[in-house]
Amino acid sequence: MIELKNVVKRYGSLTAVDHVDLGIEKGERIVIIGPSGSGKTTLLRMINFLEKMDTGTILLDGKEVGYRRDKKGRLVMEKPEIICRLRSEIGMVFQHFHLFPHMTALQNVMEGPITVKKEPRGKAEAIAMDLLGKVGLLDKKAVFPAFLSGGQKQRVAIARALAMHPRLMLFDEPTSALDPELVGEVFGTIKNLASEGMTMVIVTHQMGFAREMADRVIFMDNGRFIFEGHPGDIFSDRMDNPRVKAFLQKVL
Amino acid sequence: MTSRAGNSTQFKFRLSVLAGTLSLLLIIIPLWISRVDSAVKPDQYKLLAEGTRLLEDGKLDAALEMLKQVPMPAPGEDAGAFVRARMEAAKILFSRRDYAGSTEMCDEILAILPDNLEAKNLLVQNQSAQTPELLRFLKDMKTYLPTLLKSSGMTLVLVLITMAVSPVGGLFIALCRISRLRALSSFFWCYIWMFRGTPLLLQLFFIYYGLPPLGITLKPFTAAVIGLGLNYSAYLAEIMRGAIESIDAGQMEAAKAIGMTYWQAMRRIIVPQTYKRLVPPVGNEFIALIKDTALVSTIAMVELMRAADQIFNATFNIFILIQAAIIYLVLTSIFTISFRKLEDRLGVYENR
Repeated sequence: MIELKNVVKRYGSLTAVDHVDLGIEKGERIVIIGPSGSGKTTLLRMINFLEKMDTGTILLDGKEVGYRRDKKGRLVMEKPEIICRLRSEIGMVFQHFHLFPHMTALQNVMEGPITVKKEPRGKAEAIAMDLLGKVGLLDKKAVFPAFLSGGQKQRVAIARALAMHPRLMLFDEPTSALDPELVGEVFGTIKNLASEGMTMVIVTHQMGFAREMADRVIFMDNGRFIFEGHPGDIFSDRMDNPRVKAFLQKVL
Repeated sequence: MTSRAGNSTQFKFRLSVLAGTLSLLLIIIPLWISRVDSAVKPDQYKLLAEGTRLLEDGKLDAALEMLKQVPMPAPGEDAGAFVRARMEAAKILFSRRDYAGSTEMCDEILAILPDNLEAKNLLVQNQSAQTPELLRFLKDMKTYLPTLLKSSGMTLVLVLITMAVSPVGGLFIALCRISRLRALSSFFWCYIWMFRGTPLLLQLFFIYYGLPPLGITLKPFTAAVIGLGLNYSAYLAEIMRGAIESIDAGQMEAAKAIGMTYWQAMRRIIVPQTYKRLVPPVGNEFIALIKDTALVSTIAMVELMRAADQIFNATFNIFILIQAAIIYLVLTSIFTISFRKLEDRLGVYENR
């Protein structure tokens, strides 16, 4: 569905993402793990065009999207309207939720359909109610984010992303900011989503979740894919990559 | 010889005629004068003259005694000496704080010449001097309150117009300042630099007095509104820019992630979140604005400060200024309370 080819992102002298290739098939669940600063989040943000790649190609359904070359041959992002349309098809969930604090849970979920898709209020509200029910927060629809727990906030954020009916969901460390006892409810929600066949890329430090959920686990370090494979391979005793082993020993 | 003797005789004759005429005049003029004088009780004027002389010598008691002796003229008689004497006496008594005596003198003058302005004025002075000072001040306050209230209406109109205009201008400038278009941003940097860096008084002078030579003549009200509007837009722009930049960058990212454009995100997500944060500093500015409107009194606008100043200069009644101060305090208090309420209302989504 989406394919990244030879993608590079540099911050000054630091190469955050270093010649990465990643293909995501429809319905696939990819989990990216690795130490902090290894480029996982940057990669995720480039898939959603929140970060501009320096070189490389992004293909959607086999077509190059999001970038063009200017007169001097440099890679530049497409016009905002095009980028916005692309983004609206990709949902993103952030580590720190980023709910809109001045809107209730319901309004947060309705905001995308109303402002971006120009859906009528009634329809947007129906979509939002349905999604809040799905994440188990219908009773919190009139509550402002400040009065929700971290887990509830993240579930509203997931509903907000789903309201745009995305083809792909990106999760950037969705449970890292949560108290341990709240992690389960968010993972539960993501699992439900997975069971419905949603395509997703998840960056996480929760190895148990990675093992349970992933079709494919990618281990990233220094901006590169060090290891890529089935969770059974990466979490097995046969794992022979020393860096992966060292990392897993630390976090498990 | 004969001709010389004849000439001499002729000269002597002429001389004697001249001398005769002169001496005759010398007799007739004083006689005429004394005739006029004596025709109307000559002692009236003698008494007045004597009294005036004593007054000039500083002998007030004696002067008063003398002046009081000038008798009241009968109807139809010349009242000149009497009026002048009584007026002098009234003044002496007034200066000695004998207001009752002074009033009596004035009354006597007015009995004969009801339209005598000097006596009338002194009578009013006596009356207000007789009222206790505090009472007089309070009376002034009552007299001039409608004028002050009417002029504070103009102050309020200026404040309300500026309050309506400057947030719009401020938001526009703030958005231009954070724009990626360097030229736009730099232009408004200069704008803010100029309007915040020079006195509002100077800006008002420039708009009202400085533009006519360039062919633009504005009415005082228009000039005042433009001056206040431009100045306050500059201040609010910086406050708004600060508020917008204080919103967590994640908000813009989250808005973009659901497909919003920059402007949609600004309008729906970023700017609405600044409202609550804007209330305290903007409220501060608007309270300063109430007081800054006093500056437009310098460009021929009659508002509260100007009216208070005019009345104060006419009455030297410090209470008028206190009254104006109270009106300013009432206005600023209403604003303070309203902004507090508004802040609470805008903050309902916050968990505190």
